[in-house]
Amino acid sequence: MNRSLDDVRCIADRAAHAVPADAAEAIVLSHYSALTRFAGNRIHQNVAESDAQVSIRAVLGSRTGVASTNRLDEESIARCAKAAADAARHAPRDADFPGLPHPKQLSIPTRAPLLLDAYGPQERAEAAREILDQSAARGLVAAGTVSVNDTITAVANTHGVDAAMHTDDLRVTVLSMNGPNASGWASYYGRDARGFLPAQIGSHAATIAERSEGAVELAPGTYTVVLAPEAVADLLDFLGYLGFGAKAFAEGSSFLIDALGSRVVDPRISIYDDALSPATVGISFDYEGQPRRRTPLIEGGIAVGPVTDSYFAALLDRDNTGHALPAPNPYGPLPLNLEMAAGDTSVEDMIASVDHGVYVTRFHYVNVEDPMKVVLTGMTRDGTFMIENGRLTKPVRNLRFTQGVLSAFSSVGAIGSQRQLCGAEESAVLAPALLLERWAFTGQTG
Amino acid sequence: MKEHIAAALDAATLAGATYADARVVETRHERLSVRTGHVEGIETGESLGIGIRTIADGAWGFAATSDLTPDGIAHTARQAVALARAAAITASSPVSLTPVGRFTDTWSGACAIDPFTVSLDDKLALLLLADDVLRAEDKVRVTTASMGFIAVRKVFGSTEGSLIEQSYVESQAGIAAFAIGDGEMLPRSYPNNLGGQAVQGGWEAILALDLPGNAPRVAEQAAALLSAAPCPSGETTVIIDGSQVALQVHESIGHPTELDRVLGDEAAFAGTSWVGIPDLGTLRYGSEHVTVTSDATIPGSIGSFGYDDEGVPAQRDRLITNGILTGFQTSRESAREIGRASNGCMRADGWQRQPLIRMTTVSLEPGDWSFDDLIADTDDGIYIETNNSWSIDDKRLNFQFGCEIGWEIKGGTLGRMIKSPNYTGVTPQFWGSCDAVCNRDHWQVWGIPNCGKGEPMQVAHVAHGAAPTRFRNVRVGVAR
Repeated sequence: MNRSLDDVRCIADRAAHAVPADAAEAIVLSHYSALTRFAGNRIHQNVAESDAQVSIRAVLGSRTGVASTNRLDEESIARCAKAAADAARHAPRDADFPGLPHPKQLSIPTRAPLLLDAYGPQERAEAAREILDQSAARGLVAAGTVSVNDTITAVANTHGVDAAMHTDDLRVTVLSMNGPNASGWASYYGRDARGFLPAQIGSHAATIAERSEGAVELAPGTYTVVLAPEAVADLLDFLGYLGFGAKAFAEGSSFLIDALGSRVVDPRISIYDDALSPATVGISFDYEGQPRRRTPLIEGGIAVGPVTDSYFAALLDRDNTGHALPAPNPYGPLPLNLEMAAGDTSVEDMIASVDHGVYVTRFHYVNVEDPMKVVLTGMTRDGTFMIENGRLTKPVRNLRFTQGVLSAFSSVGAIGSQRQLCGAEESAVLAPALLLERWAFTGQTG
Repeated sequence: MKEHIAAALDAATLAGATYADARVVETRHERLSVRTGHVEGIETGESLGIGIRTIADGAWGFAATSDLTPDGIAHTARQAVALARAAAITASSPVSLTPVGRFTDTWSGACAIDPFTVSLDDKLALLLLADDVLRAEDKVRVTTASMGFIAVRKVFGSTEGSLIEQSYVESQAGIAAFAIGDGEMLPRSYPNNLGGQAVQGGWEAILALDLPGNAPRVAEQAAALLSAAPCPSGETTVIIDGSQVALQVHESIGHPTELDRVLGDEAAFAGTSWVGIPDLGTLRYGSEHVTVTSDATIPGSIGSFGYDDEGVPAQRDRLITNGILTGFQTSRESAREIGRASNGCMRADGWQRQPLIRMTTVSLEPGDWSFDDLIADTDDGIYIETNNSWSIDDKRLNFQFGCEIGWEIKGGTLGRMIKSPNYTGVTPQFWGSCDAVCNRDHWQVWGIPNCGKGEPMQVAHVAHGAAPTRFRNVRVGVAR
């Protein structure tokens, strides 16, 4: 069911004012997504889904409760509103609850939906075929996705918050496989479909797959590495999640508690959260309808501070940076539009400067070993190469790393001049390539 | 619901589908969480919609909507057929399904006390009590106590004539204490990490966990971890508790024996598998002590059902028999590749998503050791409990797991406590080093309600039966 921005905004306002409580907030997400998935050089899944959901937070004094439904008729919304109020009635008082936020000036770009019509089922299938042809022509096997997402987000509360915005994005992934032990990868993520050239992205993945044939073993140890943007994006994603949320900061489980205002990484590194950047796909308000803004997390290597929402801004006596997630959630506010400032070095020049090292296309299945030191483990995949005397030489079998992000970012050799928007499950990261002098590989695929 | 199914199947047929199935799924959930003395969230919710899967021009198409008006259902059915036809431009051979019976049936999971009839006050009182006990330890700075419930009712119908109605309730609860000091945060949880144990059942399952009764031990161990010895680095014998063995089975046996992964259908996201179809019946996956089953019929497991989301009856099958690969988890389409019928592993994450091959209850079958005898039989090694971190490569070979707590084993006796133990290995060598599995007295089914797979991402509720198990020559203490 297609709903307009105004329709969704009205549903949010109606829901917020339907709650038998002192105050209330409603979030409505109206969503359409379509994904064409291919593997084995043919499309094997071609799916689409349409849904809209309202989530209502009721406030009784300092007590809150939340209820949600995807039935948007009057009766169902009234039932949902009552359920939220009932939940609030059972909740104990929370002396730290500052109340729902009041409206603030929002800057919401008008974005006409660009992608749904441009990438319907036929267009996505044609794009997939162009991608697949690049691998099939070279005797390789391709897998991946071409997907579009189209979402209207609206937040309203009984204090007058009234925010709504339309977003859409196009995401493409390509894995090209050259036998069981060699593969290559390429991807595209963004709003501007002009940046997506199916044959080019398919060819890029296939070329890496061809070069990955005949991978050799490499003894685990500490190496100089050049990380492509998608590998850097994984590190930034975890750094933001573990270190820069106000909840972890308030609870004392973030490295930031002893590091505010201190140098934590190389002075050439600056990291921001910026949903307003034209290069990303974020919305310009958070899930309390508060404005997002460009928020420094690390500037010139110095830790600046955590991101907040209304609750943690009041609790910590800090500004509200507009990073609320939908209530309730176990995470608190988080940065979902991270970016690392670009440097001045091309990837080619990074590689040329390395005598002996490893090039990593991307990581796989990264997870946390030590949250307070931001130590992660994960594997390389889809294009890992030796760098010898300034050139990519032999492909290397996939390696496991166990490495602290802060210590790695303290050994920066160079920062890439070009950045790529990389998609994570719930966030988007604008990342450059990085040359790191010390990176600990601790194992290898058997 | 049944009229929605009929409308969807008729519309898909009229649009040109040669096969169609439809699922109407209605869910209701409730979640409560307490954190360090505060009620973090009380949330209820509901969702209703239909997912329609079709074959047209020999290819799959799937569309889903929450618009259950006649027009909404008809539009979505036609959309599913259009998606199938678009997909057909790359098809080299038409989709072909192995036969399945025509079933008209109902199935429901056991639930003694409907958790939605228990008051929020009673639920909160239990959580607040457990959380209060956890916070009695000074060094414990953050505590969590949570519970969640989901009730599912779904109807499946297909153009082959099946009409199946199923319903069940799942319940989950757990507690955790986090000791923080000297730049470390060390968790201790019960009965498992990430929200605790999840079962098919009701309020009786929550009461059986006795969260307040276990809270003192959990808090005490969390506090003790701050001054515990670091994990030694090197190769040693490791005895792993049942909950971590469950995750080890999940990552290094469950996923690589999903036949869609073996066939490459998940290659670009979660990856492929280190095993292939020619390995069936011959590959040595592990030692003779390793027998693994896939079983969707275990009462109380969140991996159980009456029929999968293709209308295939729940089954028990052997994936590994005394160390030899003897089966895969399959669908109606993929089973044809190994010349077998589907063993019923297709499930979807709600009405929104197309079914994929998902684990049911994939279990390491029990051995014959008592836990005390196994410790006594071990001269030198470590015993570790409760997962805290997991990572495995795209072929499911190289893995690394971190756990919450461990103890040294010296001369057949448990010794001093170890903090943050981790271990790494490569799947066939690791399972090949398994030389003892504890008996059924120590075996239990562990629910894992957060298994991610597919694009768009789907989260499945799966489970694993496991008991404490011993492995030799395991590399531990990576980067410690």
